Amino acid sequence: MSGLIFGGRRMRGRAIGSTILALTLAIASCSVQSGEAEYFGKTAPPEGQVLRYVSGAEPESLDPQMSTGQPEARLYMALYEGLVEYHPVTLEPIPAIAERWEVSADSTEFTFYLRRNARWSNGEPITAQDFVYTFRRGLSPELASRAAYLAYYIKYAQAYNEGGVFVRDPRTGEFLLKRDVPPSGDESAPSAEGATVIEGGAPDTPFHRFIRSPSRLVLPGTEQERARLFAANPKLKSFVAGKEFVPVRAEDIGVEAVDDYTLRITLDQPAPFFVKLLAHQLFRVVPRKAIERYGEAWTKPGNIITSGPFILQSHRPYSEIVMVRNPYYWDAANVKLDKLIFYPIEDMTTMMNLYKAGYIDATYNHTVPTGWVDFVRRLKDYMDAPEASISYVMINTTRPPMNDIRVRRAFSLAIDRQALAKYLRVVKPLTAFSPEGIFPNYPQPKGEDFNPELARKLLAAAGYRDAAGNYDPSKFPVSEVEYVYNTSDRNKEVAEFLQAQWKQNLGLTIPIRNMEWKTFLDYRAKLNYKGFARGAWVSDYMDPNTFLSLFYTRGGDNGTGWWDPKYMRLLDQANRTLDPQRRYELLAKAEKYLLDACPIIPLATYATNWLKKPYVKGMYPNPMTLHPWKFVYIEHDPAKWDRGMPQMAEVVR
Amino acid sequence: MFRFIIRRLVITVPLVLVVISLTWGLIRLAPGNFYSSEKALPPAIEKNIREKYGLDKPWYVQYGRMIGNVLRGDFGLSLRYQGQSVNQILAQTLPVSATLGLLAYGLALVVGVAAGTLAAVKQNSRLDYISMALAMLGISVPNFVLGPILVLIFSLNLYWLPPSRWGGFPSWNLVLPVLTLSAVYMAYIARLTRAGMLEVLRSDYIRTARAKGLSERAVIFRHAMRGGLLPVVSFTGPALAFLISGTVVVERIFALPGLGNYFINASLNRDEPLIIGIVAFTSILIMLLNLAVDIAYGLIDPRIRY
Repeated sequence: MSGLIFGGRRMRGRAIGSTILALTLAIASCSVQSGEAEYFGKTAPPEGQVLRYVSGAEPESLDPQMSTGQPEARLYMALYEGLVEYHPVTLEPIPAIAERWEVSADSTEFTFYLRRNARWSNGEPITAQDFVYTFRRGLSPELASRAAYLAYYIKYAQAYNEGGVFVRDPRTGEFLLKRDVPPSGDESAPSAEGATVIEGGAPDTPFHRFIRSPSRLVLPGTEQERARLFAANPKLKSFVAGKEFVPVRAEDIGVEAVDDYTLRITLDQPAPFFVKLLAHQLFRVVPRKAIERYGEAWTKPGNIITSGPFILQSHRPYSEIVMVRNPYYWDAANVKLDKLIFYPIEDMTTMMNLYKAGYIDATYNHTVPTGWVDFVRRLKDYMDAPEASISYVMINTTRPPMNDIRVRRAFSLAIDRQALAKYLRVVKPLTAFSPEGIFPNYPQPKGEDFNPELARKLLAAAGYRDAAGNYDPSKFPVSEVEYVYNTSDRNKEVAEFLQAQWKQNLGLTIPIRNMEWKTFLDYRAKLNYKGFARGAWVSDYMDPNTFLSLFYTRGGDNGTGWWDPKYMRLLDQANRTLDPQRRYELLAKAEKYLLDACPIIPLATYATNWLKKPYVKGMYPNPMTLHPWKFVYIEHDPAKWDRGMPQMAEVVR
Repeated sequence: MFRFIIRRLVITVPLVLVVISLTWGLIRLAPGNFYSSEKALPPAIEKNIREKYGLDKPWYVQYGRMIGNVLRGDFGLSLRYQGQSVNQILAQTLPVSATLGLLAYGLALVVGVAAGTLAAVKQNSRLDYISMALAMLGISVPNFVLGPILVLIFSLNLYWLPPSRWGGFPSWNLVLPVLTLSAVYMAYIARLTRAGMLEVLRSDYIRTARAKGLSERAVIFRHAMRGGLLPVVSFTGPALAFLISGTVVVERIFALPGLGNYFINASLNRDEPLIIGIVAFTSILIMLLNLAVDIAYGLIDPRIRY
């Protein structure tokens, strides 16, 4: 989920917002604080079981496979269900349309047993074929889903999505295999080759034998790209000479309906975290019937058929999205809300006003403006817990002086993270690359913390010293370095803080520069920045791998130019390990390796920072602020209200 | 008169084409794409998207298609909002912005003209000073200041009115945004009216009217206002176009589903069809309203003939 923390959509219009905020604050601070309130504003619950929730930006689409955003994810969770759902507190996968599942010993094959009573909102049963359709659709190049990469773990999924081809020998009709390709030298191909075929509960089928057979060779679909590949690897060219190219089809991907209620998914490589990924919107089941009948208009009220606890009643863009309970939902008896209203509002002050005046019942994360936090956090409806999201500084390691690890370390050591956390109020200091306090039992490594003395020594050692060998700031090429960030008040605060820290502790004044969001993304991705750029990451699933895999590839979201085959191997080794604890240890080892190389400067773990009226129950400050709506309800009896953060240990059902 | 109108309407077409061509060029120059986000896309996925939306075609093909769409009056599908056509979005948001804009302007007109006329008739009286001082205040206090102050008083402390959101027409939700929006226009119109009236009241034909023995009431309403309000009429064209085509700030503060919100987000999202659609619509609206102003001039002021 590319939930953008203090970037992008959520922060847009902050220029307007900030001015409004400053003014309102000035007046509000005198009037608000006069009463000794327990909660922020009115606490009269709405009539009946209705929840009014602010969901953030106007959704791009109500098609769960189209948008990758978190504002949309919250809507999709009401309308669609997948094989698994997030646990409301821990976000670990819990049974949804699949009532149970089996995982092969090598974590490459997953068999899901669907419940027989799962139905679409039109009353028709949801079957394994619906899931096969959903997975194939999500990966089809024609749909062009931005989230498709999440399904790349599935065998041949990437090949299909990228329009790749298999290679077949026209004489024998046999497909060429990946393992027979002559090596070109620089690749290390992790794969499940040679993994034993497990004897699962589900029966063997011809498709199963095909998908478990050794991987076929996949080449790019276009002539042009193949030519490029052959130029780099002449051996490959001669290997495939005279062979024919067969496009990878939707039917080739490793998803199979063994029968109506058994779904089998085969992966290309071991991924012990795969089930955690399946609660993501990309994998929530979509209705073939409506999609084929209405095309892009299938999500309109009236056309839409849903699989989740709610159905869409009306959608007025930029105003409201109203949902009512789905009577055919398999667990309808346990759905407590009758109506769920989402307001797509982005302006924080506006939502705070609505919240205080009692027009909404809860907000999404990072919605309490900085200036209000000190006042609001004392109240009992403030939700403050660590999040699976981090803030860091990216370093362009391809340009001097930042290609010197000593320089990178020095800049990291010169930042007082405790002071930063205190200054920003809603973050916790972080020295690692995975968020702190989110993954239980993960032996998170500690990176280097504040040590200005050492920082100066390192810079001196890197050559920025006077004749006497002491560190000399004037020798450092400040003009070669800057810190860029996308325009927002919060990002500016951080930028100025970093600038002050480096000035104070290293005697260097690093220029800071802000950019419009999309311009910034482009600039950063192309490694055009010199020195530092703002970075933030929100987890896609509840596993450290979602953070560590950023540096698995050179391109993509890496953004620093740092890439090390050894790091890649460490991650592979970890993800091939079956024992969860042992795997965590290996992941931690990889993380330590990353921290030592210092392509990034960790700054902070974000905190949830949102509000919920005391009468809203079954909603928790979990690490991604995603709420399975069927657990949420309105408590009309004040004796049972949440006075403070809800008990996170509370057992759900 | 008729030929004048036809001529003006004909000119509108090339003018709009120039405006949207410039807009189109500017969108091209801006870095980033409608699909770019914090998460970088694998090149293959990016390629899929570019093919799906025809972005892989040469620029002149894309430009030609865009112009073709505009000429047919169909702006195509939004890139950002899946399955929503730009025409649909315009049809849905325009009533909101128009309701807001017309109500605000109506209010501004009534209050502004009344205050301005009174101030002019009783020039240098206490009434004149007070209303002009208020008008100065109205012009100086921007709506992003006034809006939150009104919300603070009426929604958060007194709990009388909803702090934001659209509630249809008529509804209590409209009160604060309309007041916020109209304040500056009210003030401006009051000042324009006062200035216009003062000038007219000193003119010969008013003296003639008075000399004929007409009542002061008739002098003011039948004779003076006709000429005195001309500045207000010419102000009305662009002001109304601006109000109807969406007011970003007020729509944001009050979370209203109007055109302004879409426009700002469309630009930030690089949603080309939507930007083009809104720009084309707004420029046509401005030109038509200017034309209407010119026609109204002819009707009000007998000295003007086309």
